[in-house]
Amino acid sequence: MSRIGVFVCHCGSNIAGTIDVEQLAQAAREFPHVVHTDDYKYICSDTGQQSIKDAIAEHKLDRIVIASCSPRMHELTFRKMLESTDVNPYMLEVANIREQCSWVHKDKDVGTKKAIDLVKMAAAKVDHDAPLFTTAIPINKRALVIGGGIAGMQAALDIADAGYPVTLVEKEPSLGGKMVMLDKTFPTLDCSACICTPKMADVGSHPLITIKTLSEVEQITGYVGNFEVTIREKAKYVDYDSCTGCGLCETKCPSKVTSEFNQGLGLRKAIYTPFAQAVPNKPTIDAAHCRKLLEGKCGVCEKVCAVNAIRFDDVDTTSTETYGAIILAFGYQLINWQELYGEYGGGLYQDVIHGLQFERLLNASGPTEGHIQRPSDGAEPKTLAIIKCVGSRDPHKGRSYCSRACCMYAAKHAHQYLDKVDGAKCFIFYMDVRCAGKGYDEFYMNTQHDGATYLRGRVSKIYEENGKLVCLGEDTLSGSQVRVDADMVVLETAMVPADDANRIGSMLGVTRDKDLWLSEAHPKLRPVETNSGGIYLAGTCQGPKDIPDTVAQASAAAMKVAILFNKDELESNAMIAQSNSSLCNSCGACEAICPYQAITLEEITRRENSVMVTRKVSKVNPSLCQGCGACTVACRPGAMDLKGFSDEQIMREVDALCQW
Amino acid sequence: MTDTAPSITREQTARVQTARVQTTRVHTALFAEVTQKLRLRAKELLESGEVVSVIGWEAGRFENQTTPAFITDANKVDRLIFNEYCANTLGKYVLSEKLDGKVAVCVRGCESRGINRMISDNQLKRSEVYLLGLPCPGMVESPEVSHASEPSHAPEASSKLLSKCAFCTHRQPVVFDEYLGTCEATDETLGGLIPKPIDPSERFSDVEELEALSLDERNAYFEKLYNNCIRCYACREVCPCCTCRECFVDQARAGWQGKQNNLEENRFYNLTRVFHIGDRCVECGECERVCPMELPLMKINRKMVKDLTTLFSVPEAGLDSETISPLNTYDVADLEEYL
Repeated sequence: MSRIGVFVCHCGSNIAGTIDVEQLAQAAREFPHVVHTDDYKYICSDTGQQSIKDAIAEHKLDRIVIASCSPRMHELTFRKMLESTDVNPYMLEVANIREQCSWVHKDKDVGTKKAIDLVKMAAAKVDHDAPLFTTAIPINKRALVIGGGIAGMQAALDIADAGYPVTLVEKEPSLGGKMVMLDKTFPTLDCSACICTPKMADVGSHPLITIKTLSEVEQITGYVGNFEVTIREKAKYVDYDSCTGCGLCETKCPSKVTSEFNQGLGLRKAIYTPFAQAVPNKPTIDAAHCRKLLEGKCGVCEKVCAVNAIRFDDVDTTSTETYGAIILAFGYQLINWQELYGEYGGGLYQDVIHGLQFERLLNASGPTEGHIQRPSDGAEPKTLAIIKCVGSRDPHKGRSYCSRACCMYAAKHAHQYLDKVDGAKCFIFYMDVRCAGKGYDEFYMNTQHDGATYLRGRVSKIYEENGKLVCLGEDTLSGSQVRVDADMVVLETAMVPADDANRIGSMLGVTRDKDLWLSEAHPKLRPVETNSGGIYLAGTCQGPKDIPDTVAQASAAAMKVAILFNKDELESNAMIAQSNSSLCNSCGACEAICPYQAITLEEITRRENSVMVTRKVSKVNPSLCQGCGACTVACRPGAMDLKGFSDEQIMREVDALCQW
Repeated sequence: MTDTAPSITREQTARVQTARVQTTRVHTALFAEVTQKLRLRAKELLESGEVVSVIGWEAGRFENQTTPAFITDANKVDRLIFNEYCANTLGKYVLSEKLDGKVAVCVRGCESRGINRMISDNQLKRSEVYLLGLPCPGMVESPEVSHASEPSHAPEASSKLLSKCAFCTHRQPVVFDEYLGTCEATDETLGGLIPKPIDPSERFSDVEELEALSLDERNAYFEKLYNNCIRCYACREVCPCCTCRECFVDQARAGWQGKQNNLEENRFYNLTRVFHIGDRCVECGECERVCPMELPLMKINRKMVKDLTTLFSVPEAGLDSETISPLNTYDVADLEEYL
């Protein structure tokens, strides 16, 4: 026979103001197996907790109900308190009589009546509570960072500086991501490469960081502390151990290919390092364009290489390693505006370019050596139109969200353009100007002083007429139609999730929001964690953001990893699902619905009805299960149950409410 | 309950479909040809040892009635018949037969979807069955076992389509190892013998009738329905979705289901069953056919099918064995209108 103690908290007047706490405590005395009740001003206080401990000893209580605030608030506090008693910390039910009762009622009679019902249910449930225990999960203290942009590099550096080994996986031939393509960064106008490349070099030389470029994560299994990750390192056709990075091969290579790094505005060779400060600063062969690999002829690079580093027979290699934590930092891509915005020419006009292309035109190491020239004829544009929110804040054609960084880089583009071109005119079409950030609004104001003309309205059409790109739009402030005859148009296009977001997200059970950005565990209080333990987010894979925010988030994610690695083992969640193999009919509904990939079907062989039977039953991995309960609802045979919220407990709660 | 509460006999609730297809011709030639092919192949399969058993139909105790047949002896394949009275849907019998080895089973649209159902529910492996695909022009009610109120049931009226067949959307098997029909296996008119399957716009006309009732009328309808249930669980036994090792109604410890036979408990049983099979129902209509109380059980099943089809734009269940039902998936983009 269980011995239940019920403790009612006044929470000052928060609860006692609307609920007759003494009447509640008295009513609870009548519930089955309740042997002691008490009410107290603040149960969460030290003296309040002590009074419970005393009552447990005095009345030999073996389970308790606390009627107080939401369990989200203090269930953990009370569990910790029970750790120092003979009562198992999970033989506890918290009846929420504050948020769900006293705060929402005004009438004391109604409130008290409902509170009695809530405590009645908790008492019925606690009567069927079973002691639960956690287990220790070992932690593999190595981190994997996916994505070698500024977010991934910052996170890798911070984790490595904390003393833990890191593997940084980048799918391109060099670290740097999008940031290293930028010319200058707002609002301080630091040269992007000048602040980004030292970080790349730091990453490259850090003894605890292993860089895997031209690599992709192929498979991830396992759970916090113990992820098994398979990484495919693509063939580079160059032996990086012997290559000195002299660059002779690159100058001699006869195949010219459009440069991805220069956003299609320049050319590179088939054997190439994407840019001068690349890390690792060694070339790779682009197999799709190499004459030797395609046609078997050429091989010039091999002939000129002084250290015999060329390997035409190189193949992809895969390796599987164990990591304790994973940081996702694979960034964003720009929306495919050509597909969506036929009214802007849909890619027909060479001089309608996107912001990242303009960055390359501005950059001294870019295709035009920093001279602003039209891609079509190389002439210097005297009139520039900048269109913001192309794809952003446009639920009909693009995305409904704001891409956050474009207002500032549009201002920066205007500033740099007006600075570089004498007698230039710059028109910026905008919907709103959003410059919340340190020094941001000042920068925007300066751009206006520089002479940029801001026109509030969208551009409805761009067409070519007499060598000009005619932008037809609207100035909603004056209520008039606007026509700008521009020499070049820059579209500040929306950030959208990288292609990998869906693949890696689903592989890890990290949820994506409606726009496919990876979801954080809590929008305010857990912004770098995901719902899967040991997986953290850094940078724009979680949503559009600028460089300062990205770096801050990367360091925060690194700190979370360091906190995790600082422990020797983890405590598993005690309230997890468990499957009753005698009821399980192996339908697999639980496996399909589990958001954490915590459930697998495993074969068992046993004697049933005098026959040896081999059949599959579901099995829950206690390290992966987060106790969400999705499987228990999907399980039609009723084989899956959630510890701490068992079917039986819920039934007794309902019975208490309906029958007592 | 009022006297004006809608009647619940299958006769009347099936008004819509019977109005649509009152009668059907009996396609004697087709049945004869398929029966011949079936016997031939059954003999070969059993003789070669490829299968240990062939599940089909044989003549029943009465004229114009058949019963499931389990042929394990190649010399007895002549017992197999295929005619307009093969009302039983056979798929679920595979589960008990497969224990002895590979089983050949006759599959029409309804059986084949049931087989897919059981494969996706991990009750069966595709390699454990050999599927003999048969074309089905629709089965007819047998005069001897008909419960029609008219005592002077003339034999020629025996060509009345079974109500479960009137709503059939797949007269041809959706999966098979070999096809024993006389036309293309994708030809839903069986080479022009029968009209096209029910039009999608009419598919849920009976459900819409139900939805149009007022709340009180609907309540009265279901009260009458569940008052009549005797909880024999025949509906569960024939259902290809019902493959739990211990049904929730039998789980004494959790105590889901009260054991009394009364309105509340009967309603709880029937509604829980609807929820358990709703997203997986292959609409074979066996539950309704076997109900000894003639309760129109398919109506509420089809209400669930209609809702899921509308909400999640999913295809009919059991068309393949890979599609995961919408209620078995976790997706953050799921509808949350109720929150």
